[in-house]
Amino acid sequence: MNATQDPTAQAPELTPRLDERIRAALQTRTAMAVILAGLLALIVVLAIVQDVSAGRILSLTVWGIMLGGVIGLGSIGLTLCYGVLKFPNFSHGAMVTLGAYVTFAVMQALPQGEVLRPFSFGWEFLVALIVSMPVVGVVAIGIDRVMYRRLRQRNASLVLFAMASLAMAFFLRSIIYLVWGSDFRFYYEGRANPALDLPFGLRVQADQFFILGLAIVLVIAVYLLLERTKMGKAMRATANNPELAQVRGINTERVVAWTWLMGGALAAAGGAMYGLASQLRPEMGFWLLLPMFAAVIMGSIGNPRGALAGALIIGVAQQVSTAFLNPAYGPGVAFILMVLTLLIRPQGLFGGTE
Amino acid sequence: MPLLKVENITCGYGDMEVLRELSVEVAEGEIVSIIGPNGAGKSTLMKAVFGLLHPWQGAIHFEGRDISRLEPYQIVETGMCYVPQVANVFTQLTVEENLEMGAFVLKDGDIGARKEKIFELFPRLKERRRQAAGKMSGGERQMVAMGSALMLDPKLILLDEPSAGLAPKMVDHIFERIVRINETGLAIMMVEQNATQSLRMAHRGYVLANGENRFEGTGQALLNDPDVGRLYLGG
Repeated sequence: MNATQDPTAQAPELTPRLDERIRAALQTRTAMAVILAGLLALIVVLAIVQDVSAGRILSLTVWGIMLGGVIGLGSIGLTLCYGVLKFPNFSHGAMVTLGAYVTFAVMQALPQGEVLRPFSFGWEFLVALIVSMPVVGVVAIGIDRVMYRRLRQRNASLVLFAMASLAMAFFLRSIIYLVWGSDFRFYYEGRANPALDLPFGLRVQADQFFILGLAIVLVIAVYLLLERTKMGKAMRATANNPELAQVRGINTERVVAWTWLMGGALAAAGGAMYGLASQLRPEMGFWLLLPMFAAVIMGSIGNPRGALAGALIIGVAQQVSTAFLNPAYGPGVAFILMVLTLLIRPQGLFGGTE
Repeated sequence: MPLLKVENITCGYGDMEVLRELSVEVAEGEIVSIIGPNGAGKSTLMKAVFGLLHPWQGAIHFEGRDISRLEPYQIVETGMCYVPQVANVFTQLTVEENLEMGAFVLKDGDIGARKEKIFELFPRLKERRRQAAGKMSGGERQMVAMGSALMLDPKLILLDEPSAGLAPKMVDHIFERIVRINETGLAIMMVEQNATQSLRMAHRGYVLANGENRFEGTGQALLNDPDVGRLYLGG
């Protein structure tokens, strides 16, 4: 693990062969950034070739950034969970869905207020959003207590954790089907939500700016929490080296609980925003799972900033490609990006070379 | 009464016995050096003292209190700190954050002042306070690891191979700092491969082999002992 303690390990190899040099150059961060930028450019060029107007491409890009914000909120939770608990949580998509539906339920319980122009929603949506975040966070802690903690205490293998989380994904989805049914739901049924008239033929709804703004605020909040607070630093320390964290007196179970709380709350916010931008379906989060994992891998597993960067790239790629592709292929675009990352630079954009 | 008293402990991993009825003592303000060949159980002894392993038999007392069933995060609060041999820094955290994590169990207080004290001891860390610990040299990492452990002002510090993998000049520097830390009244129990050098600075030493205590005595006596010299000091 600590191979760099050996000073000889850092000595550069003497004149590597040409193909090895090309391969090494391809694996650098710059090369990966160039390849990703090239891919995005290719998508734009393909759109232009299909006679898509510049205004539409621009609008799709802005929508893509918004979608990236939603994916990003989910993937930050996913990457934190992986960092601290070291397993891929396949039920994270279900947490996103749950957040959307809990927001819906709280809104039903509240009286409908006036519409906050230029947005399409009233204050009851904001209240419901603020309520659903901690609720889903606490649900996540509860799931950990009944399932993952028991597995941890038995030193269960990674596969068992992953399978348990997959089971939990199906379980949560079934609960949502049971409670809210399989019909599409809308936060505001039939309410007009016209796009704003902006320069350059840009057509974007005010709601979409709200979603992007909130995503940015939440991401900054997460960043400050991780960088500035004692618990945030303890989370990073535990993700980095769990055994040493214990030796330093960090109560790792408390760190785990905080991780679930944050991951659940962010997933809930992402779900509510996704629901606001489109509609509520019991599988909505499941379809976000693949883009979320792609974003996490692209931005280096365990790195929240990387997850957000990956999410923005994937959001834009997915949206702009709908100019010439059926939107149903969206997850396919995310999948291609994920496979490319794994082939070129498995440690992701922000990973070290260790 | 000794500060640390390890009494006849037997312990190991799974069903593999590593230590057999081993006894070790550390008095206040003492440097105790544990030497012995690879696989003798030196690191296991450290882990058992710090609660990372629990002894199957025997007891461990720290300041008269039985700590053999405590977990590491509880032992930290008793005034004992441990510097593991490998992976002993948070590579992704900065030097300063590493030190702060060393003081994690402190509820409040003068973390800034404590950090300054560590920077006085290791000025190099002050220059690099904002650097990620993973980007530092082996010697600097060892300073970060020891600094983090010292943040709590412990009474006893356990050092597992502080000189492992370091350049000779850095080894001298680290050993010199260990002596200086000890002069402030801190007791030190260290495991070392660098046996001759570590016995020279130690007040007392133990020679471990096959999980048992073979020789014990003052550092000088062990250095002069012909059997110890022939078997474990390579000469």
